[in-house]
Amino acid sequence: MASKEELIQELSDAVISCKKDRVLEAVEKAKGVMEPAEIIEKGLAAGMNEVGTLFERGKLFLPHVMMAADAMTAGVQVLEAEMPVGEQKKKMGVIVNGTVEGDVHDIGKSIVSTMLQSAGFEVHDIGRDVPIRNFVEKAKEVNANMIGLSALMTTTMPGQKEVIELLKEEGMRDRVKVMVGGAPATQAWADKIGADCYAENASEAVAKAKELIVGK
Amino acid sequence: MATEYALRMGDGMRISLTKEKILEELEAGSADAADLGEIPTLSGNKIEKLAEILMMPGKAVSVEQGMEVPVTHDIGTLRIDGDQGNSGVGIPTSRLAGCMLHERAFGADTMELGHIDYSFKPVKPVVANETQAMEVCQQNMIIPLFYGAMPNMGLYYTPDGPFENPGDLMKAFKIQEARESMEHAAEHLTRDTVWVMQRLMASGADGVNFDTTAAAGDADMFGTLHAVETLRKEFPKMYIEVGMAGEIVLGMHGELEYDGKILAGIWPHQQAPLAAKAGANVFGPVCNTNTSKTSAWNLARAVTFMKAAVEASPIPCHVDMGMGVGGIPMLETPPIDAVTRASKAMVEVAGVDGI
Repeated sequence: MASKEELIQELSDAVISCKKDRVLEAVEKAKGVMEPAEIIEKGLAAGMNEVGTLFERGKLFLPHVMMAADAMTAGVQVLEAEMPVGEQKKKMGVIVNGTVEGDVHDIGKSIVSTMLQSAGFEVHDIGRDVPIRNFVEKAKEVNANMIGLSALMTTTMPGQKEVIELLKEEGMRDRVKVMVGGAPATQAWADKIGADCYAENASEAVAKAKELIVGK
Repeated sequence: MATEYALRMGDGMRISLTKEKILEELEAGSADAADLGEIPTLSGNKIEKLAEILMMPGKAVSVEQGMEVPVTHDIGTLRIDGDQGNSGVGIPTSRLAGCMLHERAFGADTMELGHIDYSFKPVKPVVANETQAMEVCQQNMIIPLFYGAMPNMGLYYTPDGPFENPGDLMKAFKIQEARESMEHAAEHLTRDTVWVMQRLMASGADGVNFDTTAAAGDADMFGTLHAVETLRKEFPKMYIEVGMAGEIVLGMHGELEYDGKILAGIWPHQQAPLAAKAGANVFGPVCNTNTSKTSAWNLARAVTFMKAAVEASPIPCHVDMGMGVGGIPMLETPPIDAVTRASKAMVEVAGVDGI
């Protein structure tokens, strides 16, 4: 019988292979030996993190990220269906994510949404070229813990600042964290406009969201 | 106290660093490129040379005499006519005057004519206007004048084009459908580009500049390389420049190949031989600037990538230098201290054939 370490490795490798069948097979094998929460966190989520790293290094590509996320979701669904009510994996937080008004860049923001979702956040991706007010309205509607703001052009970056200002005007700034990203954004820019954090890539976005929302 | 030198961050912010810190940043930048591209780092004396260039006292620097290289300009004449949004200076100018200013006042060795929309697809309905402008410019100019535009394959996807947007399909986990959409779009890109260039060549163009190839990922490069191949067969003597959009070809499709090589995830030194194989005369490699890193880190990283591309390329490499590329900070009007230092480094250390 495979050891726990071997099962964890198999789960992680299955996600990296981007194959749903392999993930479901690895989940079935691990079920009798490990707790569902442990299978998700140490096996599936760890594999998804590795997928993110390989994507950023140009070794895996967008379709692979999506296939891996799909496979992981299938594995999580199997486990959650068998977990008693109340023990099912709780969402780590609610995030509204989008690209600010005037900016049609979509890919990077979508990858961040997928990675955040895979990490256990409830993500509401509101698309690209999103009017400033829509971020705030959506955050109100879904009771979001965080808003993610993407901008890929120096000319659209001010939109990130405007969302923060609108959150202040609406009296929501204290309870909604703000993350900024996109090629021209930097930590200095995040500090200047009063964002809570800046993330350079999708993996960093997940790590910083966890730090800000869950505190780990 | 150690002497400090004025440098910049990748977003243009002024910083001061000691020589030791500059050397440290240069080594780290070169190591990052070497790690990602699986290419050699810069040797010790190349790093020293970069440090020397960065620490030069003049605001602007230049290459040593005898090391001058050809310089050309993209984005047509919008640099004069356009506003700050596209790095222009906002002086109302006709395209003819803009081209001639580049030839006679700015020292451009070649130039391109481009449309305000600057992509091949929107040129189709106004091609008669473009051919007329090309003829007029050719009648007034001496330097080689090309037609320039972006392949910009994103324009073939909804809401701008006929094929379903792969980004939307992927979000719905319809991976196969997304890939098919990209393949169809690539076919149309090839067809439209060839059609537009047939007309421009009939109007006296000296060649074509494919600007920001692979902006929409590997299928964009696939479509472009096939257009290059077709144009080369039809016009054996035309000048074809393939300039890239970024340092790595994004794997939107992930499985498309050219000449037996997977296009997704390839770096400049792997891109250049493919552009040459398709029939390009000149390759325009790109290295992106990281806005959170110093100009020393960015420059060493860019020079490491470009040096590897130059060595691997069977055709001349004219490196892309400008806002947010080639070790230059991401500013609408890139600062002259950074532009001239990065340009000198590209010529003297990376050995590029042109800018």
